[in-house]
Amino acid sequence: MTFLSFILAQCLSALSQAAILFFIACGLTLIFGIMRIVNFAHGVVFMLGAYAGYTAQVLTGSFIMAMILAPIFVGIVGAAFEWIFLRRLYGRRDGGAYLLLTFGLAVVLSELIRIIWGTAPLSAGIPDFLRGIVLILDQPFPLYRLFLIGLGLASAGAVWLFLERTRAGLLIRAVSQNPEMVHALGTNVDLVRTGVFGFGCALAAVGGVLAAPLVTAFLGMGTTVVIDAFVIVIIGGMGSFLGSIIGSVLVAFVQVFGAYYFQDLALAFMYFLMLVVLVIRPGGLLGKED
Amino acid sequence: MNWKLGFAATAVACVALPFLVPQYSLTILIEALIFGLFAMSLDLMVGYCRLYSFGHAAAYGLGAYSTALILIHLQLPLPIGIILAVLMTIVTAVPIAWICTRSTGVSFAMLTLAFAQLGYAMLFRFRDVTGGSDGLVGIPQPAGPFGMTWFQGKIGYYYLVLGCLLGSYLLCRAIVRSPFGAVLAGIRENEAKTIALGYNTRAYKIATVVLAYGFGGLAGALYAGFAGFASPELFFWLTSGRVLIMVVVGGAGTLIGPIIGGVFFVYLEHQLSQVTDLWPLIFGSIFIAFVMFAPEGIWGILTSRFKVPAKLPSSTGGKEASDAAA
Repeated sequence: MTFLSFILAQCLSALSQAAILFFIACGLTLIFGIMRIVNFAHGVVFMLGAYAGYTAQVLTGSFIMAMILAPIFVGIVGAAFEWIFLRRLYGRRDGGAYLLLTFGLAVVLSELIRIIWGTAPLSAGIPDFLRGIVLILDQPFPLYRLFLIGLGLASAGAVWLFLERTRAGLLIRAVSQNPEMVHALGTNVDLVRTGVFGFGCALAAVGGVLAAPLVTAFLGMGTTVVIDAFVIVIIGGMGSFLGSIIGSVLVAFVQVFGAYYFQDLALAFMYFLMLVVLVIRPGGLLGKED
Repeated sequence: MNWKLGFAATAVACVALPFLVPQYSLTILIEALIFGLFAMSLDLMVGYCRLYSFGHAAAYGLGAYSTALILIHLQLPLPIGIILAVLMTIVTAVPIAWICTRSTGVSFAMLTLAFAQLGYAMLFRFRDVTGGSDGLVGIPQPAGPFGMTWFQGKIGYYYLVLGCLLGSYLLCRAIVRSPFGAVLAGIRENEAKTIALGYNTRAYKIATVVLAYGFGGLAGALYAGFAGFASPELFFWLTSGRVLIMVVVGGAGTLIGPIIGGVFFVYLEHQLSQVTDLWPLIFGSIFIAFVMFAPEGIWGILTSRFKVPAKLPSSTGGKEASDAAA
């Protein structure tokens, strides 16, 4: 095993990690950009995606179906939550209420998951057609992780195209800049908000479905991931789509290389990265100073 | 006049309680009071400065682990150990406060959470000192200076905790009613204006965070001294979450509300966890209901119902709460 092939394998591993993180962070940052709401429940939503994906895969016997059905289900749950609860708080002066409400959702949702699926970790395994090993510079590398990298890149491109090149994307960007004006021009801003919240949750669910074969679906997977996602979004800049991509890659590299060279301190490195970014640029790399 | 009578009755009840309840309830009662103190410390940040900390467990854990290490290795008297632990928490809090107050709102919440998780990770990193996932067990309760031993029994410890809680409450009340507290209310209501008036709001925020950590550390220290062990769980984010819930449900910005919230929840949690494992679900649902419909909390509802004379520009939902009371 040469040094070069080792580094390459680690980099690919980090990129596949970044792909999963991207799905969570991207949804989080979109929701924040539109609604100025920090969805603390996003990690639990990711976990719900993993569990729903497991059930879908067991019922339909198809990983692809799981990847379609679970995000739709979670997206509907997210949109319903926005519609029933969050919407009632929009007039409130105190922005902390959102933080508290989504925190409450995180507690309730994770308990519901425990009640429905039980406490044992669940895994339907890596689907057969992605189970192989690929040799890269004579270094074996799991096909599934390559699939993650590819899917991550494709999805990042697709979301970018959606935001920049479609009418719905235009509306979303407009609402994030000036909701009153968009409303005055005759758009149903509330509907855009509900839609974006659901869309963000669905993205997190995709991440959950993808992560489940690697780490199994277990209670508590949401907590670590929500902190990772917040670190990413804070590093990249709240509300910045490009920032969430850069943040995902940075954090994934710090995690993978940190875990290899300094096992116990990997977590500390991530926070250290965030501290450095915040001390230099309080608004994040691509964010606006608030 | 009614409310003065109520306070007097509560005071008498608090003093007499250890003789009225069975021994095992006393354990829960002591833990409830400690959590009340912990919740009150967080209220200084949440209720008076609108600094939402998601990592207040750091203060609790720091206080608990410092006490554990001091008592195990130094053989100092318990009260001295607790005081030293609080001082250690305060000293550690200064750089944390300095960094966290660079940002506000969500970033602040995440930074505090990051520090708490960092502390949590450290426990596993420095296993030799902290005992890793086992935590520190067998913390003694060494006799105090001048041969004091009254706090070694459960009833004695109850009075120690009650005394600390009362003292901390009076101190915090004095703080929030002082000119210093008025500036905090200014920051809460309109920070830009407060800056324009010439106040260095960052310094005030740092001071508040450090104070909150100090009182939180006291709660942690009392817990370690009582339970006889300190586990990593104390640093875990769920501890931070629970205490934040208690503050909000009790009534942020009232000091007394969070104490009630803390006591109420610990007691209820203990009772309900015996009959149903759905407790966290109920806990979360109650919390959501309060955030949605009663942001002023239990104490806010009580005071607006019974018209306790408000002595301070009182708090949470700020305007909403006072409007509702009017």
